[in-house]
Amino acid sequence: MMQLDSSAMYAALMHELKNNLGLLTMTLDAIPMNGTVEHDGRVDDARLLCQRSVDRLQQALLSYKAMNKELHPVPDAYSPLEILRDLRDTAMSLARGRLSVDTLVGDQVPPIWFFDRSLVEMALMNAIHNSLAHAGTGIRIEADMVDGCLAFTVRDDSAGYPDSILGLGPAEEKPGKGGTGLGLKFARLIAEAHENRGRLGELRLFNDQGAVFRFLLP
Amino acid sequence: MSLIPFQETEKTLNYGTLRALVVDDYPGMRSALKMTLSNFGITRIDLATSASEVLFKVGNNDYNVILCDFNLGEGRDGQQLLEELRHRGLIKLDTVFIMVTAESLYEKVVATAELAPDDYMIKPFSAEIMRNRMESILLRKFAFSKVYRAYENNFLDEALEACDQVILENPRYVVDALRFKGEVLNALGRFDEAEALYKQVINMRAIPWARLGLAKALHMQNKEEAAEELLHDILDQTPELVAAYDLLADVRITKKDPEGAQAALKQGVQISGKTVRRQQKLGELAVENGDLATAREAFTAVLEKGQHSVFVTPADFGNLCRVQVDQGDPAAALETLKRSKAVLQVSPEGRLVNAVVQGMAHTKAGRSEEAHRAMDEATRLRREGVRVDERVMLDLAGTCMTHGRHEEADAIVSEVARNAHDSETLLAKARKLYEEAGRKEAGDQVLKEATADVRKLNNEGVILARKGEYKAAVDKLLTACRVAPFNPRILMNGVWIILKYLEETGMDHDLLNEATRLLGEADKLSPGHARIAGLRTQMKDVESRFGIRRRAP
Repeated sequence: MMQLDSSAMYAALMHELKNNLGLLTMTLDAIPMNGTVEHDGRVDDARLLCQRSVDRLQQALLSYKAMNKELHPVPDAYSPLEILRDLRDTAMSLARGRLSVDTLVGDQVPPIWFFDRSLVEMALMNAIHNSLAHAGTGIRIEADMVDGCLAFTVRDDSAGYPDSILGLGPAEEKPGKGGTGLGLKFARLIAEAHENRGRLGELRLFNDQGAVFRFLLP
Repeated sequence: MSLIPFQETEKTLNYGTLRALVVDDYPGMRSALKMTLSNFGITRIDLATSASEVLFKVGNNDYNVILCDFNLGEGRDGQQLLEELRHRGLIKLDTVFIMVTAESLYEKVVATAELAPDDYMIKPFSAEIMRNRMESILLRKFAFSKVYRAYENNFLDEALEACDQVILENPRYVVDALRFKGEVLNALGRFDEAEALYKQVINMRAIPWARLGLAKALHMQNKEEAAEELLHDILDQTPELVAAYDLLADVRITKKDPEGAQAALKQGVQISGKTVRRQQKLGELAVENGDLATAREAFTAVLEKGQHSVFVTPADFGNLCRVQVDQGDPAAALETLKRSKAVLQVSPEGRLVNAVVQGMAHTKAGRSEEAHRAMDEATRLRREGVRVDERVMLDLAGTCMTHGRHEEADAIVSEVARNAHDSETLLAKARKLYEEAGRKEAGDQVLKEATADVRKLNNEGVILARKGEYKAAVDKLLTACRVAPFNPRILMNGVWIILKYLEETGMDHDLLNEATRLLGEADKLSPGHARIAGLRTQMKDVESRFGIRRRAP
């Protein structure tokens, strides 16, 4: 039998749990709504919880890989508009009409940009989950050119990030409500792993009528 | 700069007309994926649980979409399956092939556009994302339809023109078109143009596949130092890019560094050990380096991982058994034969390998009578025209020599040498057999006679062609092809000279048919050889010039 050290074994276990939860999410997705708050609310809560658990496990797995210096983005050419569409559709599916989801695009956004789509989507989906969990009435997802970088921005109308998150570096981030802080840490790790001619990607967090998560790709 | 609401263009895709195949070994995921697809209107959805089931289904149906899990249990993985489907021409370039993976970081190991899936979906994903991805791919396939049509019919120049058209008309697909174009240029042997193209892409962004393409173009132009330096850099940044290890091994082989090549392949195998061709090459290099333990491990993996694979031939059984015998373990070789009996007995080539290995193993174990019986069987099969890999044939020659059957041995070596007159490795192996049998002079004579004829006919033909005496050149090369009917280099030269002759003097259908046959044989003997795509294009040009336009087989 293959020898596994304990962290590799936990990683394998998390992997399996993540996949099982993913399957459960897909099954819950297929349950039709019947218009009653009691039924639809419960199903929605279950779906969101499932999806959040999947994300947490995915982040933990990434953390394991990052600790082993295995986070190597594989950039290719992707359409920013297609990414925006994916983010919007997933956000709308998660919001199920309870929160509004608006998408905006800058007129300077080029037809293609270079990045590792799976990593970038993972970071942005986490931001969307957080915003959906804290927003009052809705969220907004934007794609635009900012400081020469392609920027994806997720805004919500929540009370905004606490000072601890805005004021401190990633190592001292305090866990948010219901989360472990891993999501932001990974978003920053993923952004900074993208490089173009010496310029690194960036994660900018600020408050502007709510929390703003801006992910810049060089 | 201003932000405007994001609006999509109207789509006109009709999912009701599509046929899909869902491949997953896990029943829960299979039905979840089927449900996802049927939710957006696909009604014809088939399910498969294993690679062999896919091969069967794809052979009987045309699928527009294949959704395949990367991990298919114990057998082949999704990537191997895709390679086999493409290799056997079972799916076209316009079939959407989406690889479903459990994670993003390890499984995107592919380098060439031809062998890459159209997209990777990371589990879990929602129906919306699946639909978006599928739509994007279908739209891209539509934009590339002219490129694919030309490529699949071997009109490679037309494929290049169609790529240029995509670049001009659709900025969204510029990079995809450049990627395809680079591979066509490399296939056509236009390596300097490929080099320039990849540099153009890298100038936009150092995408791993573009850097790998550049390394290949450099290697093909014998710029080995530059290629190796670039490959080191690629692997530093993307160590999972397993195709880079394969190319690094090729570069080191050219640099006459077989140990370095073996080390590179070993790293590749550690990342992705299921690929049969990687294990085959590792085994061969390990034999060359005298590392029989690694060779045995690699050749064992070929047979275990490559069960039912199109890339495994009877010679692979011969390779493993030879190593086992050389390790002084003939019992293991016989055991390998016993376990593989069902596979080997179904083809004459398999039966020949079986007989050759039996002869070798019994000889090693000192069982002369059994060895002779096996050699008799091998000789009988050879007389019927059965032939296998040259190394296995040399194994037979060696066994014959050990038992004093020199005439048979000389005939076999002569045949091998005629068909591999430029292979230093095989000729050296043959020489060694004679030395070990104490027949060095006889060996020198056999090899000299066998190779001289072929070399002379070939060289004379090439010189006549250069002088413009094409008819005489064709006669020389066709004689060479008869003398060495399994020598890929001679066959390719024969094709080249026939095409030159037709270009100069006009159409001769018999000769064109002969060239087609020879090229087919050369492709079988040396699949993917750098000259073949170029010859194919040259042949298409000749056919077009004389008004013949036919689809590739």
